[in-house]
Amino acid sequence: MFHWLEKNPFFFTVVLFVVIAFAGLVEILPNFAESSRPIVGKKPYTMLELAGRNVYIKDNCMSCHSQLIRPFKSETDRYGSYSLSGEYAYDRPFLWSSKRTGPDLHRVGNYRSTDWHENHMKDPQAIVAGSIMPKYPWHFTNSADIATAFDEAVTVMKVFGVPYNKEGNPTVPATFSEAKAEMIAEAKEIAKDMKDPGVKAALENGDIKEIVALIAYLNSLK
Amino acid sequence: MQQSTAVSYDYTVARWFTYTTIAFGIIGMLVGVIIALQLAFPALNGIAGEYSSFGRLRPLHTNGIIYGFTLSGIWASWYYISQRVLKVSLNEYPFLKLISKLHFAVYFVIMLLAVVTLWMGISTSKEYIQLEWPIDILVVVAWVLWGISIFGAIGVRREKTIYISLWYFIATFLAIAMLYIFNNLAVPTAFVSEGVGAWYHSVSLYAGTNDALVQWWFGHNAVAFIFTSGIIALIYYFLPKESGQPVFSYKLSLYSFWSLMFVYLWAGGHHLIYSTVPDWMQTFGSVFSVVLILPSWGTAINMLLTMKGQWQQIAENPIIKLMILASTFYMFSTLEGPIQAIKSVNALAHFTDWIVGHVHDGVLGWVAFMIMAALYHMAPRLFKREIYSKKLVDIQFWIQTVGIVLYFTSMWIAGITQGLMWRATDQFGNLAYSFIDTVNALHPYYAIRGLGGLLYLIGFFIFSYNMYKTMTVGKELTEEPANKTPMSA
Amino acid sequence: METIREIQGYAYFGMTVVFVIALYGYIVYLYKGKKRGMDYEKYSNLALHDDLNDQILEARNDEEKDSSK
Repeated sequence: MFHWLEKNPFFFTVVLFVVIAFAGLVEILPNFAESSRPIVGKKPYTMLELAGRNVYIKDNCMSCHSQLIRPFKSETDRYGSYSLSGEYAYDRPFLWSSKRTGPDLHRVGNYRSTDWHENHMKDPQAIVAGSIMPKYPWHFTNSADIATAFDEAVTVMKVFGVPYNKEGNPTVPATFSEAKAEMIAEAKEIAKDMKDPGVKAALENGDIKEIVALIAYLNSLK
Repeated sequence: MQQSTAVSYDYTVARWFTYTTIAFGIIGMLVGVIIALQLAFPALNGIAGEYSSFGRLRPLHTNGIIYGFTLSGIWASWYYISQRVLKVSLNEYPFLKLISKLHFAVYFVIMLLAVVTLWMGISTSKEYIQLEWPIDILVVVAWVLWGISIFGAIGVRREKTIYISLWYFIATFLAIAMLYIFNNLAVPTAFVSEGVGAWYHSVSLYAGTNDALVQWWFGHNAVAFIFTSGIIALIYYFLPKESGQPVFSYKLSLYSFWSLMFVYLWAGGHHLIYSTVPDWMQTFGSVFSVVLILPSWGTAINMLLTMKGQWQQIAENPIIKLMILASTFYMFSTLEGPIQAIKSVNALAHFTDWIVGHVHDGVLGWVAFMIMAALYHMAPRLFKREIYSKKLVDIQFWIQTVGIVLYFTSMWIAGITQGLMWRATDQFGNLAYSFIDTVNALHPYYAIRGLGGLLYLIGFFIFSYNMYKTMTVGKELTEEPANKTPMSA
Repeated sequence: METIREIQGYAYFGMTVVFVIALYGYIVYLYKGKKRGMDYEKYSNLALHDDLNDQILEARNDEEKDSSK
């Protein structure tokens, strides 16, 4: 039976592949059937929030922060109601993380404000004594990559049918220059609650710093 | 053929991969120690601005160890073992030799690109598969080249039967190919939109929960098929060869191979909550899963029993000592894994440092020890020189063993403390600790973990020095040693 | 959705039982091999005698000759 296979590497490989692939199919596919349909009222990310999400990914915030509140009382007491599958419908990629060195952020938008984030990203230890989070001064000087965020929004809208431009949902205009104007307007709303003069001055010149986009994203996590 | 005929095994590419194993080992472990210390002493995050923050460095550590150090070690061994057990020399087949060189070249380019892009923060965010699509395509090329090398060598083999190690290499090849491709499916944004942004950016084909499913199907099994089957391939060759003992039971190895292949992907079904299925069935399902886990221990048992009656070799030969400790750690971490998968244990352990501890007793104890043993065994054959110093091998062994023990004990305590503090309540049912309390409580354990990692790194430096000296000034050998690797005192 | 879950649950249980029986049946088969004159253990020597000039354990050519008869 099996022993014969070691002398016939072709069949060995075929059998082995079937064994390996089979379990994966059985385990993965049925769960796909429950595909992540968005829960009612869930809106896609705005382009500025997507830009912020890419800052989150770039600096690998998910290596220390989860976005998955498990259905235990100790977690819902601490972070808010537990996470539902449909809440992640617009998350490409998902950012659940596998490690919680810092607190969960799935509903951080409910209990932290723009100015809290601004001060905290500059110097976490000044806000939370004993924090081991790094300081992020470059978020105040690097520009957010809004062009890529625009591309990304267009892509998910065209390829995956994410409902942008529908009633009440965020918009994605046809050209980048229109998109940029929208993002700057949104960024200015956020910057109203911020103090950093460099960030504000840059915004007047049409340059959105990473911190503004990141805060837009963090505020959207509710 | 007569012995005087000139054909001999060709170790060029095995040597190249040996160099990269050592180089990526140093880089990966050094970054590991830095980020471990950053968790204990956060001021270290600031030493080089954004390029020294924990978030940017961690992918360098994980990718450097998995794809740099471990894959190099596996491939150095592949180009060594495959020729020998098939009795085919690459010198006889210039095409295969060319493929092997191309394989190395493409791999090296990928690793350089990986280091640069990950450091810059260009990432798909998915753990252990962060590289963006242009590099992914190169990875597929490298993998195909390895495939040609595997099946090419097997196609021209002289021995009819394929040795155990090669089964595991084939498993690694197939499984990673499948997992890597499915988890990487993504839409490059520049192809759909105007492409005003970064041309290399892409969006995952899967969203939210589905993305998570595919990612952890990959995540769990990538570990299985690189860190487990790739390394088992090594021990099945190097332990019998170094000790001169045939494998304790070839039958057991056949059996544990197929059972491992079934079990690794299948019994992972522990995460299934099969709602309306009768209780007794769910219970039996778990029991049978455990029954299936036993044979996957067959490998470790087989290795330990191979040394039956030959235990004095452990005292005499530090390479045997490395390998026996490695298989012991293999048993240990394959027991720890299923325990962590039990639902109630997982509720406590998930998101904590216990998971980090589990990964590291597997990788430090099993993977890295086995790879270092393999390189020690191969070095005198590849470079025709004796190992420079036996004493250094011994010193290295003890320093690193102490390092591992410090590492996993501190991470156990840290993880369980963390898990318990997160859920602790006072007499009124309110949460007893704020999050920062749990962070502060972990400080001493993070410091001890940093020390453990540092000891391991020091051991690796000793290993690298010993290898360097072996290659350059080791006593020259006139003929290839049969079994025990010759070492100068 | 529940039915898919349920089918998956039964399939998982069924397959696990089949694997257990198949694998344990297999090891019995292997250990009884000796009576049929099958000596699996000789293949361990593939690792031990692996020099280019070592005796080949089972040459492929023999097989080809046999099958061409």
